[in-house]
Amino acid sequence: MEHATVTTNPLIIMMINMTVVFIVLVSLIFVIKFIHFIDPTKQPAEPEVEEAPPTPVQPAPQPAPVIEEGVSPEIIAAISAAITAYGFSGQIKAVRIINHESTPWRASARFNNLQRK
Amino acid sequence: MEALNAFIVSIQAVWNDSGFSAFTMGNGIMILVGLLLIYMAFVKEFEPLLLGPIAFGCILANFPNTGFFGEEMNVMKAINFGITNEIFPPLIFLGIGAMTDFSPLLARPSTLLLGAAAQIGVFVALGGAMLVGFDVHEAAAIGIIGGADGPTSIYLSTKLAPHLLGAIAVAAYSYMSLVPLIQPPIMKLMTTQAEREIVMKELRPVTKFERVVFPIASTIFISLLLPPIAALLGCLMLGNLFRESGVTDRLSDTAQNSLINIVTIFLGTGTGMTMNANDFLRADTLLIIALGLVAFMGGTAGGLIFGKIMCRFTNGAINPLIGSAGVSAVPMAARVSQLVGMKSKPGNYLLMHAMGPNVAGVIGTAVAAGTMLAMLK
Repeated sequence: MEHATVTTNPLIIMMINMTVVFIVLVSLIFVIKFIHFIDPTKQPAEPEVEEAPPTPVQPAPQPAPVIEEGVSPEIIAAISAAITAYGFSGQIKAVRIINHESTPWRASARFNNLQRK
Repeated sequence: MEALNAFIVSIQAVWNDSGFSAFTMGNGIMILVGLLLIYMAFVKEFEPLLLGPIAFGCILANFPNTGFFGEEMNVMKAINFGITNEIFPPLIFLGIGAMTDFSPLLARPSTLLLGAAAQIGVFVALGGAMLVGFDVHEAAAIGIIGGADGPTSIYLSTKLAPHLLGAIAVAAYSYMSLVPLIQPPIMKLMTTQAEREIVMKELRPVTKFERVVFPIASTIFISLLLPPIAALLGCLMLGNLFRESGVTDRLSDTAQNSLINIVTIFLGTGTGMTMNANDFLRADTLLIIALGLVAFMGGTAGGLIFGKIMCRFTNGAINPLIGSAGVSAVPMAARVSQLVGMKSKPGNYLLMHAMGPNVAGVIGTAVAAGTMLAMLK
């Protein structure tokens, strides 16, 4: 339904619109939380384990990942996203380009090795 | 002698009907603009899928005497019908929905706030456009460039300022392709090294139930609240439902491949066809392109500022860099967050975290468009 424009003051238009956008998206947060709340398939939350007192031992510094030359940051990002999507956490230690001319037996052995890890 | 006369008359008729007889300097300039856009699309690879058809449509629109927009129906008129009657943008959204994974958003719904905050650029540009003399409808259509969402920009322009459609579409898609150049300096300027190095906690797993119910519930909620964008949002969520239901693989495959490719060709060519010399070669076009940049920068800054606020309130659990992904530009803006984060701390992968605000930005831009339509139309 068309109606007369309420105001032409840019500041008022900005404030009204930003407020509406925030209200709608905040409401959507509650919709998402409600969906999660009523989800009959969700896993029950694991009881929180009390944290052990901090040990005086300094944790070993995380080594920087070893990235082979020719592997772009986009490829690293895609590998990282795929690993996260499968539910694994942690840090990538190294990325190496596998020789595609390898024999099927060697590839199979490598696959089995990865499966065991 | 009679044969010579007939020959001369025929040659004159061919000349009078040819494009050369009515060719203007403006047409020549616009064809050069089209060639420049083709260079940007195919050589520089700036959004080639859309900028390519837009550029070619621009060249086609500047041939005189083609009769594209005359009385008789023809293919170009049919394509234009799809643009002016808001048919193509919702169909594009159907495909985008089928390609979108809302899981990062569902796992961390607070990132919707970043998608909302990034819309500040839309309204900053709206204010700026009104200050330089555009009326409120034109200003709203220009402002939506800041949402970094091409189909929504085209949708709002055709409703509020159809005469500016060509300039707005070109500005929107050009800046979307320039996201990797525009955003990083702003991100580095507005965040500290310590903030950029924040490693975010792993996202919780999202169940199929949540992924299926979300598109249905959000469509009902938003479409009831903002009916003007029911077509856009409904198609986005329908496409997503095809993807997530797990029983409509064929429909999902069609929506995210064949359908979106076909509609992209029509949408791009049709948008380019609006770029004729009379409508495009005006000082307003330069202003629109400048305001579009302001909108993009404002949106990026808005998302980053809110990211910093969330970082403070969560005791450093949120890396503010993901805020810049609140401008839509899926998935380019999320990739920029990832790359800037990785440069600051190798091994800090923000991509999945940034996808939350990124898809929230798509919803946020549609909501901003719906709010402006409800208020101004």
